[in-house]
Amino acid sequence: MKALILVGGFGTRLRPLTLSFPKPLVDFANKPMILHQIEALKAVGVSEVVLAINYQPEVMLNFLKDFESKLGIKITCSQETEPLGTAGPLALARDKLIDDSGEPFFVLNSDVISEYPLKEMIAFHKSHGGEASILVTKVDEPSKYGVVVMEESTGKVEKFVEKPKLFVGNKINAGIYLLNPSVLDRIELRPTSIEKEVFPKIASEQKLYAMVLPGFWMDIGQPRDYITGLRLYLDSLRKTSPSRLAAGSHIVGNVIVDETAKIGEGCLIGPDVAIGPGCVVESGVRLSRCTVMRGVRVKKHACISSSIIGWHSTVGQWARVENMTILGEDVHVCDEIYSNGGVVLPHKEIKSSILKPEIVM
Amino acid sequence: MGSAEERVVAVIMVGGPTKGTRFRPLSLNIPKPLFPLAGQPMVHHPISACKRIPNLAQIYLIGFYEEREFALYVSSISNELKVPVRYLREDKPHGSAGGLYNFRDLIMEDNPVLVFAVVFVIIAKIIAHRRYGGMGTILVIKVSAESANQFGELVADPVTNELLHYTEKPETFVSDRINCGVYVFTPGIFTAIQGVYTQRKDRANLRRVSSFEALQSSTRSLPTDYVRLDQDILSPLAGKKKLYTYETMDFWEQIKTPGISLKCSALYLAQFRFTSSHLLASGDGTKSTTISGDVYIHPSAKVHPTAKIGPNVSISANARIAAGVRLISCIILDDVEIKENAVVVHAIVGWKSSIGRWSRAAGDYNSKLGVTILGTVMHSPPLEKKLKFMLLFFYSTKGEAVTVEDEVVVVNSIVLPNKTLNVSVQEEIIL
Repeated sequence: MKALILVGGFGTRLRPLTLSFPKPLVDFANKPMILHQIEALKAVGVSEVVLAINYQPEVMLNFLKDFESKLGIKITCSQETEPLGTAGPLALARDKLIDDSGEPFFVLNSDVISEYPLKEMIAFHKSHGGEASILVTKVDEPSKYGVVVMEESTGKVEKFVEKPKLFVGNKINAGIYLLNPSVLDRIELRPTSIEKEVFPKIASEQKLYAMVLPGFWMDIGQPRDYITGLRLYLDSLRKTSPSRLAAGSHIVGNVIVDETAKIGEGCLIGPDVAIGPGCVVESGVRLSRCTVMRGVRVKKHACISSSIIGWHSTVGQWARVENMTILGEDVHVCDEIYSNGGVVLPHKEIKSSILKPEIVM
Repeated sequence: MGSAEERVVAVIMVGGPTKGTRFRPLSLNIPKPLFPLAGQPMVHHPISACKRIPNLAQIYLIGFYEEREFALYVSSISNELKVPVRYLREDKPHGSAGGLYNFRDLIMEDNPVLVFAVVFVIIAKIIAHRRYGGMGTILVIKVSAESANQFGELVADPVTNELLHYTEKPETFVSDRINCGVYVFTPGIFTAIQGVYTQRKDRANLRRVSSFEALQSSTRSLPTDYVRLDQDILSPLAGKKKLYTYETMDFWEQIKTPGISLKCSALYLAQFRFTSSHLLASGDGTKSTTISGDVYIHPSAKVHPTAKIGPNVSISANARIAAGVRLISCIILDDVEIKENAVVVHAIVGWKSSIGRWSRAAGDYNSKLGVTILGTVMHSPPLEKKLKFMLLFFYSTKGEAVTVEDEVVVVNSIVLPNKTLNVSVQEEIIL
């Protein structure tokens, strides 16, 4: 089986992290985002993944080379030279996706994190015999999204309603599809929207089926959702493989700590914290609801909450970092500094406190 | 007989509770003069400066706080300084000159040749007195032209130092020399005050005769027995070869708001470095707490060796400072508890309050003005507005303290007694 991951643009919403790495390579729960998807695809027997990408394909491929052999999966890129929307990239990658097998292929949105019930999806796809399957997820406020109206018992999609004012349903497109190769015949090589043009057409022919996503789903394309997404991911990990979570008297709630990270005396870590490889967390540190990426040093008595600390940054002694502070790569927060929602671009030194959310160029 | 003629009496005007509103909430249950600065009650600093006056016979504190509030302090300081210190309570505010005049018989009991008067809201290192043959000498200091209008501005003859002109808080610029509120007077001052009283009474009588004029006039609302040293004595006597000025280069601050008290605490701590260095804490973190800069720690306070303290920190009795705590430029009052890894910067933490683990209590440290962070929430004259930062502090009464729970951040806020903070606040006054 094959799969296409829609990587898309510059990841501006996740800046300053995406100033250092393409968004799919930004770590989420100690792993580049895209690896969560590639591993899930590999687990259901996908042998080749095509990344639909529009910038820095070299960086991406170089990075993923190691994983190709490690996971035993082929990774290629399909680079668009102009934005092609959500359907256009499928047409562009047509030759890579079609083989003689006639098997359906997966299409995933790279911003989305979930439990990836791909195996169930394959079974669902086979059972209904339609042309395309999509995953839908239940949301509290459907009026913000495109709602999928479906027949509850069979999952047959009736129509798509974009940002409905009146309640028509609470299931929205989760951005994970399983498509027969014939769907590619419906897509022209031009900027097209899969949600607005392709799927409504298939639905009108009664060949589109939706499966309700069990478990969590989160678009982690922006910092606040990234932090919420980590909580949901770790909650899910608690159910599926609790042994991967850290334990001890200094741990509260769900925490993952890379085995190469060091944690000092008298710390209190958690809930919902990810500590990446090679991190040093000195004594008396408090971490909650945050991601501390590879190579970060958090010095004594510092306190970090609801924030993302980018690669190789340092947080000084008695510093306080909170309220959606996002430190880019190699940022240094000096001792005793307070950051309340500071968004700091890479390679900066923060010598004076940031009292109100602001961007530090 | 010769030495008796040299006798000097010092008078410190300490004001009263109604005047201390700017110092709220710190002054809610302690007379402002007894609020500790650099580990000592505020009034202790001018008193110990007076101690250096030769032939000092007596120190009087004049104010309208209850006598019992000062009783304990007055008796202990008398013993300590070996100079009699007495608290004289006014029945009501009479103004700075009126207060002095009210107790003239007591003050003159020792037949002093000189009377030092210090208006308490002001503290300064009192300099050696020089006499110019006049009735009084005023301590003056040069300040920036923008801030001078918050004070009494005065003009002195550059050669003779005679006071030529005096205006209290003028609207337009008069001079950058201001009145520090420290005076040396000969007993002749009482005659001058007497003169003002007589004049007032005459005018009042006149008004009774001409009630029409009284109705027309809204300018005079002060009681006849209220006489101020500055407006009522200095202004009229300026230019009459009776008053002279002495300019100090020393530090000088008005202790009117809690923010200024942080600055003054720092100034006094710096002074301890030269005058009483044994009072300052030391340590490099190997066996004891790491100390940076000038720090006063009361012997009964417990500070964990892994804490880092200073500069400009004063820690009062029975305070408990836990492991990994960081204190910078702050005043920690009695019985305060600062828990593990908490940070306190530019703040005053009031009696019995407690700050939770990994919490942060901070004033605005982006300020280039160092520790000068003001409580603009109280009365806010323009000077204080200019220093636009607010001060954070915690305050408690009757043993019911402010509690800041774990991991809470409080920035530039004022928290009144009996509060528990479990969420972070910034730029707030919590009543």
